[in-house]
Amino acid sequence: MASVTLEKVWKKYGKVEAVRGISLEIADREFMSFLGPSGCGKSSTMRMVAGLEEITSGNIYFDGEVINKVRPRDRNVAMAFETYALYPTLKVYENLAFPLRAARWPDADVDKRVRDIAEIMEITPLLDRMPTRLSGGQQQSVGLARALTRAPKVFLLDEPISHLDTRQRGRMRAYIKRLHIELGYTMIYVTHDQEEAMALADRVAVMDEGLLRQVGTPEEIFHNPADTFVAGFIGEPPMNFLECEYRQEGGRHVLSHNGIAIEMPPHSEALAQRGAIPRRVTLGIRPFYIDIGLEKSARHTIPAEVFVVEPLGDMTVVSVDVLQTRLQIVSAPDFRAQHKQILWLAFDPTRTLLFEAETGHALTDQA
Amino acid sequence: MLELRSLTKEFGKTVAIKNLSITCQECEFLVIFGPAGAGKTTTLRLIAGILKPTSGEIYFRGQPLAGVPPEQRNMSMVFENYALYSHLSVYENLAFPLRAGRYPAEEIKRRVSRMAGILQISELLDRRPGFLSGGQRQRVALGRALIREADVYLLDEPISHLDAKLRHHMRGELKTMCAEKEATVIHVTHDSREAMALSDRVAVLYKGELMQVGSPDEIFHRPANEFVAGFLGEPPMSFMDMEYGVEDSQTVFRLPEKDIRLPASPEVNAYVKEKGLPGQFRLGVRAADVTVSPSADETHNVPGEVFVTETLGHRNLLTAKLGKNLVQLMVPSEFTFKVKDTVWLDLNQDNLHVFADGLAIAHPRPRAS
Repeated sequence: MASVTLEKVWKKYGKVEAVRGISLEIADREFMSFLGPSGCGKSSTMRMVAGLEEITSGNIYFDGEVINKVRPRDRNVAMAFETYALYPTLKVYENLAFPLRAARWPDADVDKRVRDIAEIMEITPLLDRMPTRLSGGQQQSVGLARALTRAPKVFLLDEPISHLDTRQRGRMRAYIKRLHIELGYTMIYVTHDQEEAMALADRVAVMDEGLLRQVGTPEEIFHNPADTFVAGFIGEPPMNFLECEYRQEGGRHVLSHNGIAIEMPPHSEALAQRGAIPRRVTLGIRPFYIDIGLEKSARHTIPAEVFVVEPLGDMTVVSVDVLQTRLQIVSAPDFRAQHKQILWLAFDPTRTLLFEAETGHALTDQA
Repeated sequence: MLELRSLTKEFGKTVAIKNLSITCQECEFLVIFGPAGAGKTTTLRLIAGILKPTSGEIYFRGQPLAGVPPEQRNMSMVFENYALYSHLSVYENLAFPLRAGRYPAEEIKRRVSRMAGILQISELLDRRPGFLSGGQRQRVALGRALIREADVYLLDEPISHLDAKLRHHMRGELKTMCAEKEATVIHVTHDSREAMALSDRVAVLYKGELMQVGSPDEIFHRPANEFVAGFLGEPPMSFMDMEYGVEDSQTVFRLPEKDIRLPASPEVNAYVKEKGLPGQFRLGVRAADVTVSPSADETHNVPGEVFVTETLGHRNLLTAKLGKNLVQLMVPSEFTFKVKDTVWLDLNQDNLHVFADGLAIAHPRPRAS
């Protein structure tokens, strides 16, 4: 296993700056996800770690040693991409054993390793089969297992399960996570799917337009996003944003959206005391943290007009308009309302986040 | 109003659709839902008249559609690769169906502007399709299909190429637009959330056969078979293979290797009495319906081993092992479990679906909210 460090890494394709000065430390045995929309530079970054792309400038270290000029096959990285090409003329056992035999492992060690991995991936009954006799899902498992049979320094995965159906994807996700817990490989997992990154990774590196926006644990990026990009990208349904004004009135902190008063989050009061909250702020609140009342009350003070109600079985998503802004709320599965009905909302102040309207940066005590 | 009667479509030896009978009511938003290859697009093409059935008929307002060519069926459609007019601007693409209807110029402008606003493509009206992204092209195609008045709207995965945020937005807009137009819509998708969110009723297709037709509520809470049950819901329903037996004159479901016992409900006992033991019993449970406790108590009395936990943000997803079965359930994010810890689940008649040889024979009783 190895730690991987990226130091001001740039990748330019002619004039196009695909990766713009990324610095990141991945600890030995850590599961790190590179997450971002298509075109953000996550795959290019991973390919530089693999040695499949040249580094335009900056350095990449494995265990403290610069590997910029080391050839891919000498870096001892294992890769799993979307397509798992199994050797069609070899049984599953031999497919798994192949990389080990190529590395000249003794037969006894090969056997133990193949059986250990097969056990974890729950494919032991398939060892004697030919790849053509496997279902799509089984081929996935075998392909993933084969990438794992060696003990690479770093395991690189680029969207390895995005083309599977929901059921297969959920199952593979659980296995990948369990494999990491059992085997402890240093893993870099590229994906555009934020739920996947959150579910699997120890830490997530959120990227956009070649830049690193935030690195943190799933809990950190979910509850304390560094800016409105991260806040809006993580979470499904996505975070709601409202443009608000902040002012002090007779010692009280007042937050409002076009005249509608909103409760100031208690965790922002220290900042407000120090005068660190600007006049124009963007308020962020996730759909799970808005409560719906049918009537106005002490808590439910924000009027909203129903746009559409979407019952999804295990929850209902209600889209409402607060003046001109559309918000989404996750409510109990049996909640129903009519188009244009007026509802009264309560935002959970402990889950309300404030961002600078100008820059999108989070207004937090850590700033 | 639109009736498919025993529709079958074969392509050589491949049976794409088998004996399909579905009725779509006037002003209904009917979703045809199923995985890739289920026959959804084929069904839509048969309704449009682009394909002819091998056997069976399609009736519209009581009249057979056989022999009526697509352009005379007054159906507006958008298919996944429905070509836009590449020599016309987005504005003209949207206006095209209205020009054929001889609307006055200001009316056309008003409708096109309104549709462009809803689809969030107002800044693109002067562009040609060749200069649009895939998602933008898809929205123009959808707009062109919906802008005119038609008897039936046929939509084939019309928002599948949009990113998640935009897809959410368009889902809501589509639902509202069709409600306002009192449109009769047949919408094809493989996305279960889309099917649930948009439909008045869902027709679930699998390998060319109709699995179930019902409201979102019905197919979600009372799925007719294992396929429907497992295909709806995120995360999907977890299934457990269990043995049925009698112990201490009580009927139970057993997981012998783990000494787990669950009481069998009266519906199950009645089934066995009437039809005998099936080849296989499977129990299904939804992640949101089962709770877990770190220690055993009166309701949490089924032990499971923690396989893995995944962070979802506002809650976590726990996968527990019961013998060979993996059961997924939602837990509050404050709960932390280590792999191989023992946890205690509440599994009982109130949250389990029972399937005999794939068919549902018992569903959880609906919970009071």
